[in-house]
Amino acid sequence: MKRMVFLVSLLLLTLLFASCRNKDVPAGGEKKLRVITTLFPLYDFAREVAGDRAEVILLLPPGMEPHGFEPKPEDLFRVSKADIFIFTDKYMEPWAVDLVKKVGNSKLLVVDAGKGAKFLPAVGADEHDGEKVDHGHDHGEGMDPHIWLDFANARQMVENIAGAMAVKDPANRKYYLDRAASYNKRLAALDERFREGLAGCATRQFLHGGHYAFGYLANRYGLNYKAAYAASANAEPTPRKIAGLITQIESDGLKYIFYEELITPTVAEAIARESGAKLLKLHGAHNIARDELEAGVTFISLMEKNLENLKVGLQCR
Amino acid sequence: MPVELLNIEGLWVRYNAAEVLRQISFRVNSGDYVGIVGPNGSGKSTLIKAALGLVGAESGKITLFGAPLDRFTDWRRIGYLPQRLRFFNPNFPATVEEIVGLGLLAGRRLPRKLTLEDRQTIEKTLELMGITDIRKRIIGELSGGQQQRVLLARAVVGGPELLILDEPTTALDPETRERFYSLLSNLNKEHGATVILVTHDTSSIGTYASRFIYVDKEIIFDGTFDDFCHSEEMTNLFGEYAQHLICHRH
Amino acid sequence: MGIGEILSFGFIQRALIAGTLIAVLCSVLGVFLVLRRLSLIGDGLAHVTFGSVALSLIMGVNPLYVTVAAIPLVMLSSLGILKLTEKARIYGDAAIGIVSSLGIAGGIVLASVAGGFNVDLFSYLFGNILAVGNTDMIIAAILFAVVLLAVTFFYRDLFAITFDEDLAQCSGIRTTTINTVLVLMTALTVVLAMKVVGIMLISALLILPAVSALQVARSFKATIIASCCFAMVSVMIGIFGSFIMNLPTGGFIVLVNFMLFLLAFAWKYMRKSRI
Repeated sequence: MKRMVFLVSLLLLTLLFASCRNKDVPAGGEKKLRVITTLFPLYDFAREVAGDRAEVILLLPPGMEPHGFEPKPEDLFRVSKADIFIFTDKYMEPWAVDLVKKVGNSKLLVVDAGKGAKFLPAVGADEHDGEKVDHGHDHGEGMDPHIWLDFANARQMVENIAGAMAVKDPANRKYYLDRAASYNKRLAALDERFREGLAGCATRQFLHGGHYAFGYLANRYGLNYKAAYAASANAEPTPRKIAGLITQIESDGLKYIFYEELITPTVAEAIARESGAKLLKLHGAHNIARDELEAGVTFISLMEKNLENLKVGLQCR
Repeated sequence: MPVELLNIEGLWVRYNAAEVLRQISFRVNSGDYVGIVGPNGSGKSTLIKAALGLVGAESGKITLFGAPLDRFTDWRRIGYLPQRLRFFNPNFPATVEEIVGLGLLAGRRLPRKLTLEDRQTIEKTLELMGITDIRKRIIGELSGGQQQRVLLARAVVGGPELLILDEPTTALDPETRERFYSLLSNLNKEHGATVILVTHDTSSIGTYASRFIYVDKEIIFDGTFDDFCHSEEMTNLFGEYAQHLICHRH
Repeated sequence: MGIGEILSFGFIQRALIAGTLIAVLCSVLGVFLVLRRLSLIGDGLAHVTFGSVALSLIMGVNPLYVTVAAIPLVMLSSLGILKLTEKARIYGDAAIGIVSSLGIAGGIVLASVAGGFNVDLFSYLFGNILAVGNTDMIIAAILFAVVLLAVTFFYRDLFAITFDEDLAQCSGIRTTTINTVLVLMTALTVVLAMKVVGIMLISALLILPAVSALQVARSFKATIIASCCFAMVSVMIGIFGSFIMNLPTGGFIVLVNFMLFLLAFAWKYMRKSRI
């Protein structure tokens, strides 16, 4: 019995010790600007702008779905050690304001990356065919939080991020602003490729067996988007919604249904199984898997893969 | 030829480093009616529990029906009525019938189904205990006296040779108590059951028991009730007044 | 949409079948667990599953087999809960609390140490009754068979132990064995059934039907039967009702269970006051 207690304590101490490693302490040398972002798109935008002159950290651990994220003490610590904290918008991270208050570091520059972006209202799960009933209350005021999937918004976010970095690190101001402009050109080109690629498709019905994440994308390119459940990935689908999607696939003769990243796609699989549609993946870029992080995926690379799959799924020329 | 049913030798029981029972040794033969008496905290219940293997002993040897306790398996031959149920839930959803039926589990092979014969045995036992009319009632809804009779029915339904009862009459009124004791006496005399009865109530011991054991962490006395009352040693130990109280509470 | 039309959907048929099978086996186990003050064991073991799935992923187990790999550790934890109630003299709910917190804390620490995963752990663990696949159906059927066979075979022993453990032991019943069987089956149910219908449903089905049955049943056998009936009815009303009212099915089934409990309670109250 005593030996068990000893072994268990040893195990607990080891785990405690291991979890205390601070992976984010810089190796020493010059003090670079430290930027910490919540979600992956912000992380990718910031590191493009930062180049090699600033350090960018992703707050969310890889593999974790962000709609249910609750910051831990460790996260508070990492934010407190940064110069700039960037979050997407108050609908995506309602906990951000509280987190910043708790950190209490007056020198921390807090950036609402979504400032100036064009918001769309959130769509609830009880939307009926054709008629959009606005019941979405996943984030309080009813706006769809996934603004980064409209590339015009993305460009605004890049500008906000670069502006913040320029304020905190005026020595590198031109460097950041130049890099932001050049990245935004690439985003504009991406936007154009999407516009062309999705112009002539066999169908404009865009069905998704997951949560309502791609509203902005669908809106920008004139697609008719329907998702199995509402704007949070923690929501649950209703049977009528699922039946509706199955029926629509069968009656419209659709060949594909999409599923999203990180979440086990059981609902999409169920719909596919019953309707005979095939599955295609769309990456919402909320967060990435550990393997993806190691492979060095970028926002643009994820979106290009999305365009490929969209063209297959919607049967575009 | 008296058969030895229970043999305890040199039993020591500890609980959290405190001694509860010390050097207990006694024997119970078939046909005996043993009354075990002692003050509160004397370890009477612990003695019973240790004899049945419900509580661990520090040292000592216990034999049941000739077999060492840890190798004893013939539980059909023993009927036990504990002082209280461990987690008595007054809303426990079991009928009197179902609970009495539990007394027939011992010694059967899984899944221990009840036969038609069993149902008849249960009927007879319910009659014997006078609880036939409440057979479908939930145990928690019964009075203390009725509950005791149900548990006693459960203890005897399997026809055990040895009945062990721990303070079965504390919650009963005098009339019910008398009925209970005459029932026990009947089981002992007519049906040949051996009875070990732990009780506070010394008056009943005098009337019914063939043997009297006084326990207070150790065995203070083991013999007949009459011997106890006429023993000078006991008078010296308890004092005349106390001895008188114990012996003359008829 | 008429009942017939609703039933024409494959996912509804599978939800009904798998849901009913799991509801019955959970409600039967639930009677014994609730009476022994182990009601929250479903919740507690779910937390442990979280930790053991994290551990399996870190150890590099193929994500397809992670659920199966998690089973041994969850079973061990259920035995741990049992041991705590026996040796440490604490009641079931505290023992469950201890093991449960360990499980979830362990999972979080492990997730941190691992530097993240490739799948979202929570979505990995929790199935949805509307997305039942063929493997899930097989799992539900096997689980149903195993649990019901075991409970039938050990019924009188389980009854005896639930009533009073000391008396059971004096009837020659091997209480440790039976208790072990009970918690191990619960562990297996939690890990597997969670993947089919999600944790919210499992937790609720282990508790609510049993508690409702306890309000109305007039014998132990009747309690078990009533528990099954409440569970089955809740699944059926839940699935059809959630379709008609356009609500998420899992949560609706739990609500129906609660309403059935209120009805049962009202029945008991009315019966009592009539006397």
